Amino acid sequence: MTIIMSGLAIGAVYALVAIGYNIVFLSQKTFNFAQAALMMLGAFVAYMGIAVLGLPWWLVAIVAAIVIGGVAALEEVVAIRPVKDHHNLLVTTLGASIIMEGVAQLIWGGEPRRVPFFLGDGVIDLAGGRVYPVEIALVIVVVLLVVALTQYSKRSMTGIALLGMSEDREAAMLRGVNVRRFAFWAFVFTGVLAGLLGVLVGPKTYAVATLGAALAIKGFVVLAIGGFGSMWGTLVGGLIVGLTEALAARYIGGDFANLSVFFILIVILMLKPTGLFTRRTERAV
Amino acid sequence: MASLWLKLRAIPGWVWPLLFAVILILLPFIGAPYPMIRQVELTIMLALIVSGLNLSLGYAGELAMGQVAMYAAGAYAAGLVSKAGNTDLLFQLLVGAAAALVVGLISGIPGLRLGGWSLAMTSFFLILLVPDVLSLFKSETGGRNGLSGIRPATLFGEMIDSRTYYVIIIVVGILWFAAMRNMIVSRHGIALRVLKQSPVLASSMGISVFRTKLSAYAMGAIPAGLAGVLFANLDLFLSPEAFAFSFAMTVLAASIFGGSASVYGAIVGAFVLQFGMNQSTNFQEYGLIITGTFLLIGGVAFTGGISALARLLVRRADAAARAKTGYVEAPASEAIVERREGALLRTDNVSKAFGGNQALSDVSVEAKPGAVTAIIGPNGSGKTTLLNMISGFYRTDQGTITIDGQAVHGLSSFRVARSGVSRTFQTPNVPEKLTVLEAVEAGRYARDRSSILAAVLRLPSYWRVTRDDRIEAERALALVGLSEQRHAMADSLPLGNRRLLEVARSLVGSPKVLLLDEVASGLDEDEIEVLASLILRLRDSGMTVVLVEHNFRLVLRLADVIYVLAQGKVMAQGTPDEIENNPRVMEEYLGVTPEDEANQTGGHHE
Amino acid sequence: MSDEVLLQVENLQTGYGDLQVVRDVSVTVRAGEITVLLGRNGAGKTTTLRAITGLNRVTAGEVRYLGETITSVPSHARVSRGMSYVQEGKRIFRELTIEQNLLLGGFSTGERKKKLQQHVAEIYDLFAILGEKRHLPASSMSGGQQQMLAIGQALMARPKLLILDEPSQGLAPVVVKEVLERIHALKATGIGILLVEQDVQDSVAIADEVSVVEMGRTVLTGPAEEITFGQIQAAYFGTAA
Repeated sequence: MTIIMSGLAIGAVYALVAIGYNIVFLSQKTFNFAQAALMMLGAFVAYMGIAVLGLPWWLVAIVAAIVIGGVAALEEVVAIRPVKDHHNLLVTTLGASIIMEGVAQLIWGGEPRRVPFFLGDGVIDLAGGRVYPVEIALVIVVVLLVVALTQYSKRSMTGIALLGMSEDREAAMLRGVNVRRFAFWAFVFTGVLAGLLGVLVGPKTYAVATLGAALAIKGFVVLAIGGFGSMWGTLVGGLIVGLTEALAARYIGGDFANLSVFFILIVILMLKPTGLFTRRTERAV
Repeated sequence: MASLWLKLRAIPGWVWPLLFAVILILLPFIGAPYPMIRQVELTIMLALIVSGLNLSLGYAGELAMGQVAMYAAGAYAAGLVSKAGNTDLLFQLLVGAAAALVVGLISGIPGLRLGGWSLAMTSFFLILLVPDVLSLFKSETGGRNGLSGIRPATLFGEMIDSRTYYVIIIVVGILWFAAMRNMIVSRHGIALRVLKQSPVLASSMGISVFRTKLSAYAMGAIPAGLAGVLFANLDLFLSPEAFAFSFAMTVLAASIFGGSASVYGAIVGAFVLQFGMNQSTNFQEYGLIITGTFLLIGGVAFTGGISALARLLVRRADAAARAKTGYVEAPASEAIVERREGALLRTDNVSKAFGGNQALSDVSVEAKPGAVTAIIGPNGSGKTTLLNMISGFYRTDQGTITIDGQAVHGLSSFRVARSGVSRTFQTPNVPEKLTVLEAVEAGRYARDRSSILAAVLRLPSYWRVTRDDRIEAERALALVGLSEQRHAMADSLPLGNRRLLEVARSLVGSPKVLLLDEVASGLDEDEIEVLASLILRLRDSGMTVVLVEHNFRLVLRLADVIYVLAQGKVMAQGTPDEIENNPRVMEEYLGVTPEDEANQTGGHHE
Repeated sequence: MSDEVLLQVENLQTGYGDLQVVRDVSVTVRAGEITVLLGRNGAGKTTTLRAITGLNRVTAGEVRYLGETITSVPSHARVSRGMSYVQEGKRIFRELTIEQNLLLGGFSTGERKKKLQQHVAEIYDLFAILGEKRHLPASSMSGGQQQMLAIGQALMARPKLLILDEPSQGLAPVVVKEVLERIHALKATGIGILLVEQDVQDSVAIADEVSVVEMGRTVLTGPAEEITFGQIQAAYFGTAA
């Protein structure tokens, strides 16, 4: 149980990155490599607020949401909007991610910082295993988030507009949707989310500058497994990646954790390149 | 001034980098201090890796960062070989390159099937795995503690002193960049650039997208492996930290800065990053921010990096100098159409549905050699779908497509192209950064085969094929009347000329069947005349010409047989006279005679 | 019939990049009337519509809507001003449900979802089949039904000007008649309709004004009752004076 819960929790963190990818993917058909770096900054803000300044967690979450939302807005303006060639977005968002890592390194150094969890860091006995409260919280929050996002996108006008836009940008424009403004706010929203959840992610992963690269790639694996654009897919992907990693580390050896995930990624991409939860469409010439 | 410039430009381009390399070699002999020498050594290694990345990023158009893993493979292979007792540098270089190649192939095969973000992420993941793999074989590699105890390298049994080692590094650099340059200026380099622009176009020209990308990616492994071997023997110690994610970012930044789609840009980028980073005093603190900023600015502002800027300036200077000195282009070659073999193209009862939408049902069309077969029909009637099926871009749901009796349905598009089918596209598909002549030559890729190795080593087969390419391309350009623009950049041509360029390109491989997709749209009257007379001459030469066109008058004038498609079915066929006077064709185009319509319900999917 | 001019396009020139498709097209739509724009495929009809709705850049000429030049108004803002465009090829949101499609059609009005749902009910009155299938994905409907949905979606924007690009394309003749009848009926509500068609006979039958485009130029234009079929045919096949 200890291993399973720990695997689920880290899977939940990966799923959160994947959710961020998904929102940007749905709104502008691109990936924000810096999504994980935004979460890393969120964790540092949480560290500053809770561990250093001793502020109440809810206040820290709100401040982090505003700060990281602002960083995301800045990234959109600097690294996404001016890029003409779609292909270059890979390079520019990567650049943004490296800059964020560099800034974090500069401010907080290279050492991991522990972020206390507001519901306590004591171990709980659960079904014969030892579990941290933050792990349970992470799993619950990510499931609730997916439910909330899917319901919102199906029911609210904004959500419907977003779905329509992701299917056919031009047609959405012709229904009166200001697609550029929408894409911008969707992007900022992923930053707000990254900030808000820093108080949850930080206690699990620690605040460390190098968090970005590893999370970015694992988040992508989750997305590749679950399918690009599929919200429910992120949960399944997170589950698979988190458990694989935890179980491989426990039963085969620590050096096999990443290798096993890599193996699963390759197998899934080879068998079903669009992921498990999305349909394939014939390419057009 | 202008004539001096032209004289300088007449010197072959490879002389300048060679001159630069010679100066580099001389550095230690004219008393350059050791720290500088070491910087140059590290720069050359970085440049080698960057150049490997350029092959996939700049030329094949895929961001695949596996080079760092290949670099590690080369380095550890050399280190282990050395510890096992073989210190011969040449042998190590061979082993290192081979080890890197293996990593390249293993990681490239799954990754390249996917492309785009999937490939980029998979290759990032590969870098992340390097320390894990090293620590799996801890007893051999030393795991995270690093590999020590590498013995000094030897060459032909002699110990190598540090000055000689420096020269060796430069020589390896020269050899690699010469090889890379030979490859890039050959037809293989052009094929890569076509591929980057449009995989669809490339496969219609008989270029296998997957195999070409894989060979570029795998070839990029070689310099990375070589750099690894050189690195292992420089410090005689290897640590997994040298192959970290941040190093991969440095490589990428150097590539972007120098210009990914260039041969020597790698050297410029490597120098700037290696020396630039060392100069900034607080590099440890600001290094990542600097790298990131390079990537950000590089991606936003200058696509093509320093080298694109340099090329632009050289081009302007050329043009200015030519204008001043009254330089004249060589005259056009003669516009003769030689006798050509056509082939009988048949589609029998071909059907295709996309989702629930029946795009084609039971279409049977026959195009004979020495005749122009036109396919007309309203929007959405399935004309272009039919062409795409013939070229192998879509699979048939039903029915057969044959060329001279050989089935081609089910073949991939590049194989269809190799069996003699050539085509143009509705939107002219002209690759960037190629001259008109090069763009046309690329059309011969599937025609004569000449290996990458032949290009790198400049074997006789390379020279023969290159000469033929040139002659044929000149001839095709003369046919469409573009000879004077041969050295212009292909993508700077106005639309009409781009269409004619496409026709020239589709002719140059001596196809048996030529598919022209709305080739007259957007042309002015004169251009249409050039095109019309060319089509007639090609027909007379014996070629099979299929014309999809909605300029009704042009079709009536050129076609021997006309097929009218409507709602995915052949509604009428016949000679231009028959079609012009066919009431049902009028009906389809104008929607008259409603009493007929009531009977015609079979093809509707309501 | 009112004489209020909704849309006036004069000497329009537009295209894609450096591909000039439309060289000189003029067309007028009045409130409560149907203007039919005819032409062979490739003549430049769709491109004209794309310039009117702001999807393509106007390189010369003028597009006046409600008395104002709107060349610099972005597409989405034109929709909010009552210009609603049904693109060719039944371009609905295939993965959304029918109801979501219709709601999204009303997005430009800025009204709340509750209010929009009332309008959706009105559309269901107009096209009963949409109401029956409201919770199914749009892709599950037949071609004719999808065309109804596309028109219904455009009506949700409460347009003053409705622009339809080949609504009969790919439909069986019986369905074409039905679609055109529905379009004709919309006239009575006072909106202006710009209809692009290849199908001459049926569309001219419901038209008030006819324009024929050939090679990117308006070659024939006038009130429907004054134009003969022979003139249209001549314009189509390039024998017009």
